[in-house]
Amino acid sequence: MMPLIEKYRVDNLNDIKGQSIAVEEVRNFLRMFPVKKALILNGPVGTGKTSMALALAKENDLELFELNASDLRNRKSLEAVLKPSLEQQSLFGKKKLILMDEADGITGSDRGGLPELIALISKTKVPIIITSNDIWKKKFSLLRKSCKIISLKELSDIDVKQIITEVLKKEDKKIKSETIDLIVKGARGDVRAALNDLESVILLGEENIDDISLREKKQDIFNDLKKLFQNPVDQQTLRIFDNSELNLDEILLWIEENIPLEYQGKALTKAYECLSRADIFKGRIYRNQYWRFMVYQSFFLSGGVASATRLKNNRFISYKKPTRILKIWMANMRNAKMKAIVEKYAKLCHMSKKKAMKDKNLMPLILDSLNDKTKNKMDLKDKEIDYLKEKKVDLVVSSGLNRYK
Amino acid sequence: MEQDTSIWTEKYRPKKFEGVVGQDEIVKRVMNLTNSMNIPHLLFAGPAGTGKSTLALIVVKELYGDTWRENYLELNASDERGIDVVRQKVKDFARTKPLGNVNFKVIFLDEADALTKEAQQALRRTMENYSSNCRFVMSCNYSSKIIDPIQSRCVIFRFKLLERKDVEKRIRLITEKENLQIDDQAIEALYEDSEGDCRRVINLLQATAAVTNNITSDLVNTLSSAAKPGDVKIVLEYALSGDFLKSKEKLLDVMLRDSVSGSDIIKSIQKEIWGLAIDPEIKVRLTEKTGEIEFRLTEGSDEFIQLEALLASFVMAGRGV
Repeated sequence: MMPLIEKYRVDNLNDIKGQSIAVEEVRNFLRMFPVKKALILNGPVGTGKTSMALALAKENDLELFELNASDLRNRKSLEAVLKPSLEQQSLFGKKKLILMDEADGITGSDRGGLPELIALISKTKVPIIITSNDIWKKKFSLLRKSCKIISLKELSDIDVKQIITEVLKKEDKKIKSETIDLIVKGARGDVRAALNDLESVILLGEENIDDISLREKKQDIFNDLKKLFQNPVDQQTLRIFDNSELNLDEILLWIEENIPLEYQGKALTKAYECLSRADIFKGRIYRNQYWRFMVYQSFFLSGGVASATRLKNNRFISYKKPTRILKIWMANMRNAKMKAIVEKYAKLCHMSKKKAMKDKNLMPLILDSLNDKTKNKMDLKDKEIDYLKEKKVDLVVSSGLNRYK
Repeated sequence: MEQDTSIWTEKYRPKKFEGVVGQDEIVKRVMNLTNSMNIPHLLFAGPAGTGKSTLALIVVKELYGDTWRENYLELNASDERGIDVVRQKVKDFARTKPLGNVNFKVIFLDEADALTKEAQQALRRTMENYSSNCRFVMSCNYSSKIIDPIQSRCVIFRFKLLERKDVEKRIRLITEKENLQIDDQAIEALYEDSEGDCRRVINLLQATAAVTNNITSDLVNTLSSAAKPGDVKIVLEYALSGDFLKSKEKLLDVMLRDSVSGSDIIKSIQKEIWGLAIDPEIKVRLTEKTGEIEFRLTEGSDEFIQLEALLASFVMAGRGV
């Protein structure tokens, strides 16, 4: 069976919901071609970008050449695929349209892809349509200049609801209106998501609607932590962070901060062991670019930490925000001056900064009686000398050095 | 006349072969090589503060006289991260001809053991490419961390830890020149603190002299403990007493305030374990765990998280399990 999303893809521009202004602009682009040779359709997922391009081709009886993220789009393959279609007449004497779908996917492995695309645009005799989710990224700045840009908005809930109702009618299926509302709300303007969810409801039945993956609202981390630490370990445990608004690395910091608030003794040790295992896999992901390890990182953070004890708390715990990053930043700011001084000292004394930092607490005394020549050689600023004096006073007080005078 | 420099480690850095203490054999051989005006690549291996950089500097000064600065490039492997930086600097430096009678320039690569194996492989090519007009002098703490192909291209000299009498000689020389009073206990204290690292001795000496002319062992000890980064022992004691939060807080404090790296912390922890008041069997287990964590750090794991996991084990140890 064909997925609903393909079965009911619109083939007439007039049938595209909620984007009437954009539709007119798209038609205009084709009419005015080659004033602008390429058009960017920019907008969130499921707002009808690809549909619009397909419908435009149909409406004007154009032969469509399509490239999307699954095709390799480096310089060579672009050239190979597009060049002939740009220059030759179509087999059936039709006019042509090129669709470069999901431009956001042109990445590192598509070496030279973007420059080649820009070069093609300047030469093309055929209109090109490019779709993307975020054309305002820096890497697209040159591309933007050579294209007309049309922005699509998320569909309103009313439009989404109308689409679902129409599809249900054509499919001759009925579901409760509450369920429709649930789907609409979960989709948040994404028609593709709405139709996919509708399909699973039709297939699985409405009773299990809680269990099918309707698009949940992003979960806030406080709730997730409460589940992690206080719910009994069960089937759901591994999925606690699936809908989190944070990524795994951020979640790791949150757990790190809050383990000691929930666990003591053996549970604490076990939980930290799991956390450190998650961290190891995180390191392996980054080093080897082997993303499958994320499964393990995620497992140790959810299942691992949750299983550290069977005696769960029911107390209310007010979880704390991770403070470590901020503390590191503040310490770096505090240490920056001394670091700059130590750097100058290290250079003069033929040693590495790292080694010199080991004597940094002695610096205020060692550099206390510098003669001018040394100061010049070191390029010490007055501000830095003042700072050293200040630090010296600190040291004299904290170590009680006055008694040696 | 104003002195050239007022930082003692530089001021009292030996300028001639004869001034170098404690490495007689090495000095003699390096001097002979230098006198022939054509040195091979050199590898100086040995503990910190035993005279490796000093000897390298003497070599270039002997070779080039007044033009040594133009013919000498000093690179610090532990600061110049990335072999590309090293290669670019070497390239730029080696492009021009040496000034004077010697037909090569000298590149001193300090702490070469801080370079990764890959970086060393790349360096090996660089050494070959510029061998016609560049000599490398490299220093490292452990020659085993230098890959064989580089070792085989160098003449290796192994520097010994300085003995007490050598260090004392330096201290006496400096105190005499600077008009300082110092007693035997103070010298002993300086030596004890330094573990044979002459640079450390002189730094500490200059710091004490900034306080008073009359140097006592008490003052030396006060300053040396002030210089030491925050105490790991307190961190461990909090953990053993069961107060994990305090222990965690203190750990972060030590690491951030004194910018101590995780690997330095773990070394201190490893040294502390045997002295703790806990069952020997648990000490063994903790040491094993410590080793595991240290390994993870070398693999590039997050040092805070790994150390916290270690502290959690100390909490258990405090309960006798």
